[in-house]
Amino acid sequence: MSEKKSLWKIITGSREVSLLLVLIVLCAIVQILSPSFLTIKSIMDMLKNNSVIMIMSTGMLGVLLLGGIDISIASTLAFSGMTVGMLLKYDIIHNAFLLFLIAMAIGAACGCLIGLVISRGGVLPIIATMGFMYIYRGFAYLIGNSQWASAENLGDFKNFALNKTLGLGLLNNVIVIVLICYVIFFIVMKWTRLGRKVYAVGSNPEAAAVSGIHTANIKLIVYTIMGMLAGLGGALAVAVYSSAQPNMLYGREMDVIASCVIGGVSTTGGRGTVVGTLLGSLILAVIAKALPLVGIDALAQNTVKGVIILAVIILNVVTQRMMDRNNLKGREM
Amino acid sequence: MAGKSGRTLSITQESSWKKAVFSWEGILILLFIAVNILCICISPNYNLKNVLREMPKYLTEVFLLLPMAYLLLLGEIDISVGASVCLSATMACMACNAGLPFPLVLLVGLAVGTLCGAVNGFILTRFTELPPMIVTLGTQIVFRGIAEITLGSGGSISLTNTKQFHAMAGKIGPVPYMFFVVILAAAIYMVVLGKTTFGRRVYAIGSNSLASYYAGIHVQKIRFFVFTLAGFMAGVSAIFLTSVLYGANTTTGNGFEMDAIAMAVFGGISTAGGKGKLLGAIISAFTIICLRIGLGQINMNPQVILVILGALLVLAVLLPNLAKKARSMGIMAKAA
Amino acid sequence: MKRKLFCVLLCAAMVSSLLAGCGGGGGSSSAAPATPASSASGDGGSAAPATDGGSGGKTYAIVTKAAGNPFNEKVAEGFQKVIEEQGGTCIVRHPEAATADAQVSVIQSLISQGVNSICIAANDENALQAALEEARDEGINICCVDSKVNKDSRQTFVNQAGVNEIGQCLMEAVYDISGGEGDWAILSATSQATNQNAWIEAMKTAMQDEKYSKLNLVEVAYGDDEPQKSTDQTQALLSKYPDLKVICAPTTVGINAAAKVLQDNQSPVKLTGLGLPSEMAEYIGDDDAHSCPYMYLWNPVDLGRLGAYTSVALVDGTITGATGDKFSAGDMGDYEVVAADDGGTEIILGAPFKFDPANINDWKDVY
Repeated sequence: MSEKKSLWKIITGSREVSLLLVLIVLCAIVQILSPSFLTIKSIMDMLKNNSVIMIMSTGMLGVLLLGGIDISIASTLAFSGMTVGMLLKYDIIHNAFLLFLIAMAIGAACGCLIGLVISRGGVLPIIATMGFMYIYRGFAYLIGNSQWASAENLGDFKNFALNKTLGLGLLNNVIVIVLICYVIFFIVMKWTRLGRKVYAVGSNPEAAAVSGIHTANIKLIVYTIMGMLAGLGGALAVAVYSSAQPNMLYGREMDVIASCVIGGVSTTGGRGTVVGTLLGSLILAVIAKALPLVGIDALAQNTVKGVIILAVIILNVVTQRMMDRNNLKGREM
Repeated sequence: MAGKSGRTLSITQESSWKKAVFSWEGILILLFIAVNILCICISPNYNLKNVLREMPKYLTEVFLLLPMAYLLLLGEIDISVGASVCLSATMACMACNAGLPFPLVLLVGLAVGTLCGAVNGFILTRFTELPPMIVTLGTQIVFRGIAEITLGSGGSISLTNTKQFHAMAGKIGPVPYMFFVVILAAAIYMVVLGKTTFGRRVYAIGSNSLASYYAGIHVQKIRFFVFTLAGFMAGVSAIFLTSVLYGANTTTGNGFEMDAIAMAVFGGISTAGGKGKLLGAIISAFTIICLRIGLGQINMNPQVILVILGALLVLAVLLPNLAKKARSMGIMAKAA
Repeated sequence: MKRKLFCVLLCAAMVSSLLAGCGGGGGSSSAAPATPASSASGDGGSAAPATDGGSGGKTYAIVTKAAGNPFNEKVAEGFQKVIEEQGGTCIVRHPEAATADAQVSVIQSLISQGVNSICIAANDENALQAALEEARDEGINICCVDSKVNKDSRQTFVNQAGVNEIGQCLMEAVYDISGGEGDWAILSATSQATNQNAWIEAMKTAMQDEKYSKLNLVEVAYGDDEPQKSTDQTQALLSKYPDLKVICAPTTVGINAAAKVLQDNQSPVKLTGLGLPSEMAEYIGDDDAHSCPYMYLWNPVDLGRLGAYTSVALVDGTITGATGDKFSAGDMGDYEVVAADDGGTEIILGAPFKFDPANINDWKDVY
C-alpha cells in the first residue's frame, strides 16, 4: 500500500515524470497501431525532421522564463536560411562551417535588435516580436528575390544533414547539434549564474533588480540567444530539406511555443525546465510523426493534433493542481 | 515597466485642446490625415469612390478588432478568431446551400461563431492557470480542422444562391452597408467600454485581476463573456466575408487575428491589459486600411508593405517610450 | 511638451520617408527579373490607362498565386515580356499570402487602377467570383492561367495542359516505372488545391483502363506543400507500405521533399510527378542513386506568354472567350478556344513536357 502511494506521489510529484508518462503512453499507442514506429531508423528520422523546432524550443524556454514571448523566430529563421541559400546559389561561400557561423550571426543580430527594443525601449515582447515577424519575413522574401535555392545549388552543404562526422559515425550531425544545444542549456540553466539570473528575473523582476541583477542586460542576452538559435535553425532547415524558400516554417513559431508550454513552461515566467521542454517537443514530434502512420484520415489530422495539444496542456494543469495540493498536505502534516 | 505606463498621461496640466492634440488619439488622427495625403500624392486613383469600393474586404477585420480590444484590455488574447471566422463562414454557406431561409443562415453563422468563443471561454475560465495564447492556439487548430473535415476533399464551398448575400454587399450611394454596420458596432463598443460599469470592470480586471476579484467583480464571468463576444463578432465577420467571397474555404480568415491585434496595438492598446482607448484602435484601423489600399494601388510589393507595417507597429510603441524616457531623464538632470 | 511635438513630427516624417524610400524600390522588387516595366508601374502615374490607341497604351495585369515562388515568377516573366513587345503596360501583382482573401484585395486594387485586363492564377475556384464580376462590370477582361476560376467568373482559361492528358501521362509514368504492377501512392499538396484534385481525379479515371488493373493505389497523402510535413508523410508511406513501388507527387514542393527522403534512404521506391527542373535536377537519373527516373511539367514562361497573348486578344476584341475563337500567339503559333469540362472555355498550351536524365541539364538553369 505504502509503495503504491509513493509511486503515485512520484507521478504527481513532478511535472517531468508525468510528461514522461504521457510520452510513453503516446508511443505505446502508436506502436500498437503501427508496429514500424519504434525502430531506430524511424526515431532518428523523427528527430531529424523535428530538429529545428527542438532547437528553437530551448531558446524559447529562456524567453518564456523571463515572462516574454518571441513570435518572430520563424521569420528570423527564414531570413537566415534564405541568406545561406542565396550565398550558396550564387557561389559566394561553400564552407559549411562558415555558413553556419553566418546564419547564427544574422540570427543573433536579429535577436539583439529585438532585445534592444524590448529591454531598452520598453516595448512589450509580443508587440515588438510581432512587428519584427513581418519585417524579417519581408527581408527573407526580398533577399531571395523570388528565387529558391534548390538541392542542385546547395552542393556539399546538404551533405551536412546526411553525414555522421560530428556523431563519430553513430549519430547524424543534425541530431548531435540538437543534443549539444540541450546539454549546454541544461548546464547553463542549472549551474551557471546566467541561468539562475534568468529564473530570478522571470519570477520577480523587481526583486531581481534590487538584488543587483541588470535585468535589461539579461533580457538582451536571452533574446539574442533566441535569435542565434533561430539563425542556426535556418541553416539547419536548409541542410535538412535541401531547399531554401522564403516561406519556410511559416507560422511554426506557434509549434515552438506549444512544445515549451506542453513541457510545463509557464508563459508568465519563472517556471520551466530544460528537461520539460525536451519532453514537450518530443511529444509534439511524436504526434506529427504518428498521425500519418496510424492511418487517421488526412482531413482529420489537424483536428486530432489540436485536440491532443489541448488535452496535454489541460492535463498539465491538473497535475500541477495535484502537486500543489500534495505540497499543502505535506505542510499540514 | 515602461511598457505598461500610459502614453496619455502628462506630468503638467495642459489646456484641453493641447491635451487632445497630443494624446495618442490626436497623433493617430494626424497620422491618418498624413497617410491620406500621401496616398493621394502617390496614386492618381486614390479617391473616395475607389477607397470605399476596396474597403469591405478590410472592414471584415475591424469586426474582430472590437472584441480583440476588449480582450487585450483584460490582458487576454485570442488567436483563434481567424479560425472561428473560417468555421462560421463554412457552416453559414452549408446552411445556405441546404436551402434554409436567409435569417436562419445568418443565425447559423452567428451561433457557430459564438459557440467557438464559448469553448475558448469555457476552457480558460475552468482552467484559469492556462495561458490564453496557448489555449486559443489549440482551439485555432481544432476549429480550422473541423472546417477542413466539413469541407471535405474539395476544401472549398461556394454559394449556390448568392442573391441575398449579394444584396448584403450592396451600397447606399458609394458607401457599402458594411461600413455603416462597422461604425454602428464601433459606437456601441465604445459606449459600453467608456460609459458602463461593465466597461470600467474590464479596465479594472486588466489593471489588476486579483484586486478586482477581491473588490467583488466576477472576473471569470466577465472573461467568459468577452471570449464569447469575440466568437460572436467572428460570426458577424464571417457573414460579411461570405458576402464578399460568395463562399468559404480552408484558408478563409487566415491571419485575421494578427491583423486585428496589430491594429489594436497600433491604436495604443497595451497587450498587458488595462491601458488604451478603443477610439485609438478604430482610428488606427482606418489608418492601416487606407495605407494598404494606397500602397496597393501603386502595386508595391506586398512583402515591402508588410515590412512597413511591421516597422510602424514597433516604432509606434517604441518612440513614445523613448521620448518619455528622455524626458524623465531630463527631469532628473534638472532636479540634480 | 516640445518632445511630444517632436515625437509627432518624427512619426509623420518616418511614415513619409518610409513610403518615399519604398515607393521607388518597391516596384522594382515586385518583379525582379525584368525591372523596367514594373518600376514604371511602381511610380504610380503610368498605371492609369493612357489612350494611345491600338494595343499599345493599354494596361494588362497578371495576378499570381503567391509571392516568392520561382514558378509564378517565370509565368509573370513570360507574361510581361509579351505585353512589353506589344507596347502595353504590364502590372505584376503577387498577393500578400497564398489565399483567396488576399487575391480579392488585389483584384479590387486593380479595378481602382482601371486596367484593361486581369490574368489570374486563382487560389480558390469560387471565392473570387464576386470580385471578378465587379471587374467585368467595369469592362475589364478576365482570363486565368495555371489554376482556373469557375466558368461564370472568367472569359477563358489558359490551361497548361488538358487535365485528362496530365492524368494519362502520370498514369503511364507510374505504369512504366513500376513495371506494370504493384502498390503506388500519391503525395499531393493541400486537400483543397483545385488543380491537384483535378489531376488526381483524372489519374483515378485513367486507372479504370484494363491496362492498369494490376496497379494498386494505396493512399493519397497530403503534405500541405510544407517540406517538413511532406517529409513526415513520405516516411509514413514508406513504413506503412513495404511493397510500395512508386510515389507520384504532382506538386513541386512535395516532389522535392519526397525525392530527398527517397534518395537519402537509398530507397528502391521510385518517384515521378510534376516538378520544377531547377529544384529536381539533383534527383533525376536512371541509376539507383537517383530517386526520380523522369517527371513532367510545362514551360511556365510559355504559359505566361500565352496568357499575355490571350489577354491582348481579349482586349482587342479578336476573341471573346467563346468556343471556336481563333487567335495568333506570335511565334507560338495559332491557338483555338475550346470547350472545357466545367462548361466554360479554355485554351490548351500543349502536352506536358518530359524531363529525363538526357535533357535535365539543359533545363535546370532555365526554370
